[in-house]
Amino acid sequence: MDTQPAIAVRGVTKRFRLDDGSEFTALDDISLSLAEGEFVTLLGPSGCGKSTILRLVAALEAPSAGTVLVEGKAPAELSRQHRLGVAFQDHALLPWLDVAANIALPFRVAGQKVDEARVAALIRLVGLAGFEKARPRQLSGGMRQRVAIARALVLKPDVLLLDEPFGALDAVTRRQMNIELQRIWTEQRTTTLLVTHDVGEALFLSDRIVVLSGRPGRVVRVVDVPFARPRDPAIMRSALFHEMSDDLTEALAPPAGAP
Amino acid sequence: MTEARKTFLLGALGILAFLALWEVAGQGRWLGLSWPPLSAVLALLVDENRQPLFARALGATLSSLGTGYLIGGAGGIAAAALAHLATPLRPGLERTNAFIHAIPSVALAPLLILVVGREGTPATLAALNTFFILYVSTASGLAATPPALKDLVQVLGGGRWTRLRRLDLPMALPTIVSGMRLAAPSALIGVIIGEWFGAPRGVGVLVINAMQNFQIPLLWAAVLLAVLVSLSLFGLFGALHRGVVARLR
Ligand SMILES: Nc1ncnc2c1ncn2[C@@H]1O[C@H](COP(=O)(O)OP(=O)(O)O)[C@@H](O)[C@H]1O
Ligand SMILES: [Mg+2]
Repeated sequence: MDTQPAIAVRGVTKRFRLDDGSEFTALDDISLSLAEGEFVTLLGPSGCGKSTILRLVAALEAPSAGTVLVEGKAPAELSRQHRLGVAFQDHALLPWLDVAANIALPFRVAGQKVDEARVAALIRLVGLAGFEKARPRQLSGGMRQRVAIARALVLKPDVLLLDEPFGALDAVTRRQMNIELQRIWTEQRTTTLLVTHDVGEALFLSDRIVVLSGRPGRVVRVVDVPFARPRDPAIMRSALFHEMSDDLTEALAPPAGAP
Repeated sequence: MTEARKTFLLGALGILAFLALWEVAGQGRWLGLSWPPLSAVLALLVDENRQPLFARALGATLSSLGTGYLIGGAGGIAAAALAHLATPLRPGLERTNAFIHAIPSVALAPLLILVVGREGTPATLAALNTFFILYVSTASGLAATPPALKDLVQVLGGGRWTRLRRLDLPMALPTIVSGMRLAAPSALIGVIIGEWFGAPRGVGVLVINAMQNFQIPLLWAAVLLAVLVSLSLFGLFGALHRGVVARLR
């Protein structure tokens, strides 16, 4: 059967007009597609256009050429129906709302009654029980990012977009957050597109890794991740994990002799 | 000692020095009869026989001030919110606002007397001054929402109105309140100028009458009254601003 992909990016080129009037090609003929319930990671050096791909899927940018479809429709349709969850690198919490109110914001924006039980469950899920009444500025960087992830999940979205959600964290906290996200995701299996430049994070979390090269952004490699779910953190110490990790790191490095 | 307390103490010292100088200059008649000592002015201000006079003047002034301030302030905030929601209206509203502001109150007052009458002119001038300041502060506050937060509301499927209510307005609140604070003295100036052009009573009327009858201490008492109103409003809104900032940031 020919099932429709949850997210389809077909031959997308994105050019930005710079202040001096010149054009800059951020993405060049990118194609990728995600099946429903698939976790795909965009892996690439900083500036290669990962965030731009996510913004295209979130309908925050429009492609210069090519098409982006979510469930076969224009991507703006999904956010209009309040079925898109996003957590960006800048956690974007509202400073005047406490943790519970920040997580409940999607209900309010959608004009729905706040499901307090759902909010409480998510607070527990991301390990923030006891911090319901705390304001963002009273939280550590890691806690703020957990709030952003809980907020992204609260409406049970059909598509989840995560842009370096753990980018600002130290290695230890980041690993912890990866383990938690893996656990949370395994319960919901939401179609997810994650952006990262951390090879270990990509391997531990995703079903498939799309490696991009920079300037302009192009797909250089697609890697299937074989680890069965739910994943035990112990797989990060396996020989296969290390081997794939070395392989991906190499794929990320620019080819010798390139400018 | 903290920096804030040092500033406060230095400020208080400065004011005390000024008041002392005022008293000494008045006692010594350094500037002639037009500069009475502070004690004489204060004595007049608390003089029981004068209380009804001051109360009536202050009542009229505060009532014009309150009316004009509320109408002008609400109008300024609403117009800025409208310009924010309906982008095509923005240039027109901005030009109208700049135009209103470009006319000096003193020139506008005689015209207003004809249109809204002597009683209504002080409040109208206060409203115009307040409108301008609150339009500008609200507009700049609403425009200052970080792009990442706008993106968030858009991705969550919120329209312009939802964004205004849930994001832009709360974000702009400290700027709006600091506009409210700046507008208070400016509205008072509008009221007093309005009163000069023949309102039946008010602090401005007191000033004009005292001046024309050469009642120097009364003139000073009236001016002091205006300054006190202005300073208390400024202080009140300052406290409100600190509260809002603490609540929102
Ligand atoms: N709005 C924009 N205007 C101009 N250039 C942009 C804009 N957004 C992104 N770019 C450029 O596009 C390239 C890719 O950006 P981005 O997608 O943020 O990369 P990544 O997320 O992989 O670090 C960068 O060189 C960046 O400077
Ligand atoms: Mg990025």
